[in-house]
Amino acid sequence: MSHSAEARTPIVEVENLIKTYGAIQALKGISLKFYPGEIHGLVGANGAGKSTLVRSLAGLEHPDSGEILVHGVPTVVQNPSAASKLKFAFIHQELNLVKTFTAAQNIMLGSNSPENKILGNFRRVPPVVKKVAQRIGITFPLDKIAGELSVHQQWLVSIARALVNESELIVMDEPTGSLDAEESSRLLQVCKDLASEGVAVVFISHRLDEVIEICGRATVFRDGAVSAHLGRSDLTRERLIMGIVGRAVAPGEGRGSQDFSKNRIALDVQGLTRGRSVKGANLQLREGEMLGIAGLVGAGRTELARMIFGADQPDAGSMTLFGQSYAPRSVSDGMAHAVAYVPEERRAEALFLHLSISSNLHAASWQRRSSWRMPWVSQRRTVQDAQKICQDLGVVMRADGAKQPISALSGGNQQKVVIGRWLQTAPRILVLDEPTRGVDVGARADIYSRIREIVATGMSVIVISSEFEELLECDRVAVMSSGTIVGDLVADNVTVSNMLALCYA
Amino acid sequence: MLAQIAPVSTKMTMTGKETRAPEAVNRRVLAFFARYGTLLVLAAMIVGFGVASPNAFLTERNLVNVLNQSALLAIVAGGLTIVLVAGQFDLSFGNVLGLTGILAVGLHQSGLPSGLAVLLSLAAAAVVGLVNGLLVSALRVNAIVATLATSTFVLGINFWYSNGAPITLTAGDFTSIARGNLFGIPMPIVIELVFLAVLWALLNRTVVGHHAQAVGANQVAARLAGVNVGRVTVVAFMIGAVAAGIAGIVLSARIGSAQVTAGDGYLLGAFAACFLGASVLRDGEFHILGTFVGVLIVTVATNGFAILGAPSFAQYLVQGAILAGAVALSTTSRRILGQTKR
Repeated sequence: MSHSAEARTPIVEVENLIKTYGAIQALKGISLKFYPGEIHGLVGANGAGKSTLVRSLAGLEHPDSGEILVHGVPTVVQNPSAASKLKFAFIHQELNLVKTFTAAQNIMLGSNSPENKILGNFRRVPPVVKKVAQRIGITFPLDKIAGELSVHQQWLVSIARALVNESELIVMDEPTGSLDAEESSRLLQVCKDLASEGVAVVFISHRLDEVIEICGRATVFRDGAVSAHLGRSDLTRERLIMGIVGRAVAPGEGRGSQDFSKNRIALDVQGLTRGRSVKGANLQLREGEMLGIAGLVGAGRTELARMIFGADQPDAGSMTLFGQSYAPRSVSDGMAHAVAYVPEERRAEALFLHLSISSNLHAASWQRRSSWRMPWVSQRRTVQDAQKICQDLGVVMRADGAKQPISALSGGNQQKVVIGRWLQTAPRILVLDEPTRGVDVGARADIYSRIREIVATGMSVIVISSEFEELLECDRVAVMSSGTIVGDLVADNVTVSNMLALCYA
Repeated sequence: MLAQIAPVSTKMTMTGKETRAPEAVNRRVLAFFARYGTLLVLAAMIVGFGVASPNAFLTERNLVNVLNQSALLAIVAGGLTIVLVAGQFDLSFGNVLGLTGILAVGLHQSGLPSGLAVLLSLAAAAVVGLVNGLLVSALRVNAIVATLATSTFVLGINFWYSNGAPITLTAGDFTSIARGNLFGIPMPIVIELVFLAVLWALLNRTVVGHHAQAVGANQVAARLAGVNVGRVTVVAFMIGAVAAGIAGIVLSARIGSAQVTAGDGYLLGAFAACFLGASVLRDGEFHILGTFVGVLIVTVATNGFAILGAPSFAQYLVQGAILAGAVALSTTSRRILGQTKR
């Protein structure tokens, strides 16, 4: 959807924006323009400055210097409501919908439309909502409760809300982050339609293929500065990665060519079933093997992993662990059998955001740290050990960093800390669920090389990922679809197209 | 308020720096006050009262007296801090304070040795904490409702056991708990400092303390890290209740009698102290040292106004204002520091 946007006047023009927090320069003079009718990609590592820029436009941050011009007029965006009066809309990954309201109510929420001023029938769907819904192809009933909608549908509701407010600039942060391939492509189509109607869409994503597919232009951030402005013709994966990392990264380098079929079976899963999400899954993991589980969102991978860990219990089926029957009744039971699980939703399920890095690192192993069978832990040793583990895992932080809150770290470093937490429990089996979600490209490669190091110690590792390219790192890949394992790929058969083929088979 | 959108006139050549600089300073000042403001309030009050009545307030005897007065509140608030750190809420400790006072005095009066009377009443307090914890963790009752219910239940027991009348000691060695000295330091202060030290160590140096912090920070993550969330919750409520129980015993020993309404003033005071403490040096987290500072602020305010001859209603006005101010300070600090973190 490349338009000759340059001819038009930009909706928003950012000139030399600078923002510093203490000693850290978050924005080092950013300049860019958003034109009507274009899809503009923003890519870059976490902490590269994308979100600070967006927060400045949203009125959540106030830049130290530089200008924001809206339709050519220098403007100070004081606060979020000022941003919405400027007809900017921001849709974040968390999707701030009121779960107990209907889709229509959510769409009308905060709207200045006269429809909103009357306390009418709550189930009534205003005509303006119907019109917008039609425009972006909402087919589900608008009086459905938002909490019952799928993530894809919730995105459509959020976009509809932006359109009811007649937004001219819509910023979407990782819109396809938790969607499956088909839903993603439908959402991308909506983006294209919006752009063709003259809306400026700002598309923030780690999924470079999608950026390449739909964006007319892209701006790449690195360390608070713009490292590349890419037009349609030079928008390639290589250029994007060069811009993000500053060097080229080749995927799949760490792949071993070892044959594991003679190794002892570490974990044998037979006919595991739970609810409607997992239906008779069979899986074998061999000692020292790195097994990938591919699948689309909703295939039941997380649910399977949680049963292996003991966080949920199966309705049917059985497991054996190194030849012993294994039926964990709880997380601590799973841990007692030396099984570890790094969950998918890092912020919600793994991090203690305002606790220190050290506390986050030791969260699963305080019991092990206690001395003389007493519930007593040494603060000095705890912090020293944390410091050392962080060093070993390559966590980038201040020298005395283990005491600072984990919220000060980037997503990739936070993930390393969570992995470190489980390494301290000396697991025999480590399950990593979407280990690179919300992690930038450079740190992704790093995390996989750490996983490789862990596997090299003889541990058996399962990696669940929706980024099939990352699974090329694995020794073997099992593909899960609709609650069962539908295929097993080894050696040369481990390719993205094979994984996709099995997913859609 | 300012106009929300302020298109800058194109004629005025304004660099961003000129428009932003005052605000940056403003933020830094605000952040400073958020972090150290509570300590400044304490310092300002001590200086203020000291200047207002140097002969009465700033005497060694009165300062020891302030510490002595702070003892009960510090013990209660220390226990409440553990409950708050674990992410829970407790409204029952006021009546638990009354319960242990009545039980200890009543049992001692009826012939039990003081040690046994104290142990039995503390056990009763622990049972209340256990019930609170089980209601909240096993039966998933909202903590406010659960502890309000147990509080009412305990109040019923208090009235039942005491017939609503104060129980006065006529004999026995019970009062020595609060009226004695250790190395010249009044016993309540000794108990206060030792108890706070124990709670601090428990929270920061033991497995259960770290688990409590984890549960309070993110219950789902704590569960997935293998922490027994239910057990930690129960332990936190029991510590809170036993703390209130200790305070109840010290109080009744100090005044030589016990009554149903003994705990009334401590509910608000303890919450005020904990929330004030949450903004001491940290961005909105509860911690023992902070709670101690909060307790001192509440006590100094009460003591100072009493010395100045302010009427007793002023004490409530001041406590209420302090609590609101504390919460505002704590949330503001969290917001400001949260913003600068990104």
